[in-house]
Amino acid sequence: MKLSFSAADEAFRNEVADWLAANLCGEFEQIRYRGGPGDEHSYVQERKAWERKLHEGGWTGLGWPCAYGGRGATIEQQVIFNEEYARAGGPGRMGHIGETLTGPTLIAFGTEQQKQRFLPGILRGEDLWCQGYSEPSAGSDLANVKTRARYDEARGRWLITGQKVWTSLAHESQYCFVIARTDPASVGQKGLGFFLLAMDQPGIEVRPIEQLTGTSEFNEVFFDDAVCGADDIVGAPGEGWKVAMGLLGFERGVSTLGQQMLFQNEFDEVVRIARENGAAADPALRQRIADAHVGLRIMRFNSMRMLSGGGDDGSLSREAMIYKLYWATWHRNLGKLAMDVLGPESEILDGAPYQLNRLQSLFLFTRSDTIYGGTNQIQRNIIAERALGMPREPRG
Amino acid sequence: MDFTFTQDQLLFQSSVRDFLTAEVTPERIRAGWDTASGRDPGLWHQLAELGLTGITVPEEFGGLGMSELDFVLLAQECGYVALPEPLVHTALVAAPLLRQIGGELAGSWLPGIAAGEAKVVVGLQQNLLVEDAHIADLLLLQREEGWYALAPGQVELRHNESVDPSRRLYAVEFAGGAQPFATGDKAAELTAATLDRGALGCAAQALGLAQRMVEMAVAYSGDRRQFGKPIGSFQAVKHLMANVAVRLEYAKAPVHRAAYSVANGEPVAARAVSHAKLMACEAANLAAKNSIQVHGAMGYTWEVDLHIFMKKAWALANAWGDTAFHKARIAADIFADGTALGAGTTFAPAVPDGELNPN
Ligand SMILES: Cc1cc2nc3c(=O)[nH]c(=O)nc-3n(C[C@H](O)[C@H](O)[C@H](O)COP(=O)(O)OP(=O)(O)OC[C@H]3O[C@@H](n4cnc5c(N)ncnc54)[C@H](O)[C@@H]3O)c2cc1C
Repeated sequence: MKLSFSAADEAFRNEVADWLAANLCGEFEQIRYRGGPGDEHSYVQERKAWERKLHEGGWTGLGWPCAYGGRGATIEQQVIFNEEYARAGGPGRMGHIGETLTGPTLIAFGTEQQKQRFLPGILRGEDLWCQGYSEPSAGSDLANVKTRARYDEARGRWLITGQKVWTSLAHESQYCFVIARTDPASVGQKGLGFFLLAMDQPGIEVRPIEQLTGTSEFNEVFFDDAVCGADDIVGAPGEGWKVAMGLLGFERGVSTLGQQMLFQNEFDEVVRIARENGAAADPALRQRIADAHVGLRIMRFNSMRMLSGGGDDGSLSREAMIYKLYWATWHRNLGKLAMDVLGPESEILDGAPYQLNRLQSLFLFTRSDTIYGGTNQIQRNIIAERALGMPREPRG
Repeated sequence: MDFTFTQDQLLFQSSVRDFLTAEVTPERIRAGWDTASGRDPGLWHQLAELGLTGITVPEEFGGLGMSELDFVLLAQECGYVALPEPLVHTALVAAPLLRQIGGELAGSWLPGIAAGEAKVVVGLQQNLLVEDAHIADLLLLQREEGWYALAPGQVELRHNESVDPSRRLYAVEFAGGAQPFATGDKAAELTAATLDRGALGCAAQALGLAQRMVEMAVAYSGDRRQFGKPIGSFQAVKHLMANVAVRLEYAKAPVHRAAYSVANGEPVAARAVSHAKLMACEAANLAAKNSIQVHGAMGYTWEVDLHIFMKKAWALANAWGDTAFHKARIAADIFADGTALGAGTTFAPAVPDGELNPN
């Protein structure tokens, strides 16, 4: 065990910090600390430009193999990049779905042709992706998707019909990955396909859904014979579930460290306000702030351990399973703590129309952390059944 | 000893509930968000006709002459529908304050309140902003030096947005030269009593809000199906709501106890009110958190009505003394010299007045 970085890594850290200092300024100054959870709707055009800037600097696809245009960075370097990015107040990434989900999935499961076709646009920060999993009747029960994919023999293409819901950033995306039923007679995890769809086409309609924040980050997406090229299915028809689950595996990993640095920024803000308004003198609030700090460190240590290959005894996969439940619950508590620290001010908005301040957004947004990406209840079921091997709950 | 409400009190509650649930629908609340005043004079008129604006106004001034204890169940109903009109403020804060002030102010304003023709709003420094100052015919404001009674023409209002779009909050300023009508000990008495009544109003509404959110989540858990079953059939979902039910049920007695204390001017009123507000707001917070969870992503939308109630609960939790304030008040009371704790004190007025406020 050695808990410090090498000289080469420290040099890398300086390189990242210098680049951010030289580039996250001027026209980009205004997007520092913006666009994070609960704030996704802000500065969209500026943040898209920022994605392209990151690409110019060679900071997209950091962990991807060099062969696919990535930087082939080590885990340590990715950790360092995420730390410095958050320290500099780097804005919420518009391209994160493509970079952290689509890219690694294509690299793992895609054909060579798919990689050549889709990866460069993601790296350039030009192609933004959205995730077409959930449907009105397929939330926690994701395998219940009803959207159908029919192969049009005559014209050699797939036609997709059905509806997705809660699709984050669909209105800003060039592409969507969609799970749809290739075998109309199938039920559950069998008979699904994993499709790569261009959003800009007549067969797709995107309708924003207003969130309780008063803003719209997610959407309903309707497919009416939306066209998908014959080559744009990842894996064989019927293998979609395997690919879809593989993709969810990439949701964890290095990006968790970047997330923790955002948490750290939020936590620091709560502490700063507590000092300023006197809440820090309240014993109950002090204890909760200390608890939050402890939780933050736990997440950090465990991620570092996991990423550096610790837990070969099998606890690694267990760690991955418990992480979502832990951070989502921690974050939701932080949102409440922030409101209690603000006290009577927690109710007062920045202005009209419904302009939430950063901590109010945090409070509201964190209500959803325990829902998306697998609800807390579903996470506990997974931990009990898969990590502990308890009997499966009767389903269906 | 009888810790129950009378038949009359319960009947009154149920008729007010019928009225409010029929009139104050989520659609009507949403419509109010987009209007300039956010208030509905027609509805206020109806509330006055039912005697509700004057419920705590003494009979000699045309009111029903009832107490805070009579009103507490009705305040719960106001919470249950997330009533935007300042009925709780009027019946539990403004009218009792005027009653306490007495004299000319009381004589000239209480009859108007009872008739639904005059609106009086009250602002404590502790609250930062004043609720509904834009529709006030008279403002009673507490400042460092004492209490002021001001006409709308004497004040300048600056509107602030609340997280609850139904709430209308104002920073209120007035020119020097105005003379306080109460200062010193007299002012402090008014302030302490007003704070307790305001906090009691929040607590009672929080019970109603929690109740409403639970009902919404329970109904949704019966309709929504996943894995081929209503989600309410999953133990994890049941337990989310059962936890709220326990918290809510156990918050009721402290709120009712606090209303009794306030109505009877018990010396323990401050502690009882703090206890009530903490418990009720915690129950409402848990109800909000878990009801959103049970609704899944639906609970995170503007369209589903849940957030109407969730946001009012959020706002009330920190109004009229936030959690830290009320906890500190209880702690200060427990550790005060001469506090009688232990057997035999459950229902006894225990603490001499004046030792309760940590400030
Ligand atoms: C902010 C946000 C962004 C999102 N972005 C996307 C996106 O980009 N793409 C996408 O595809 N989806 C997205 N989602 C959808 C998300 O994945 C779903 O909300 C989630 O899977 C839960 O499904 P549901 O909302 O239908 O809730 P439901 O599945 O209906 O669950 C309702 C309640 O029942 C409980 N429950 C259900 N089944 C069980 C069980 N077996 N045991 C115990 N409890 C159970 C749940 O825990 C929950 O409390 C997003 C959601 C949110 C809130």
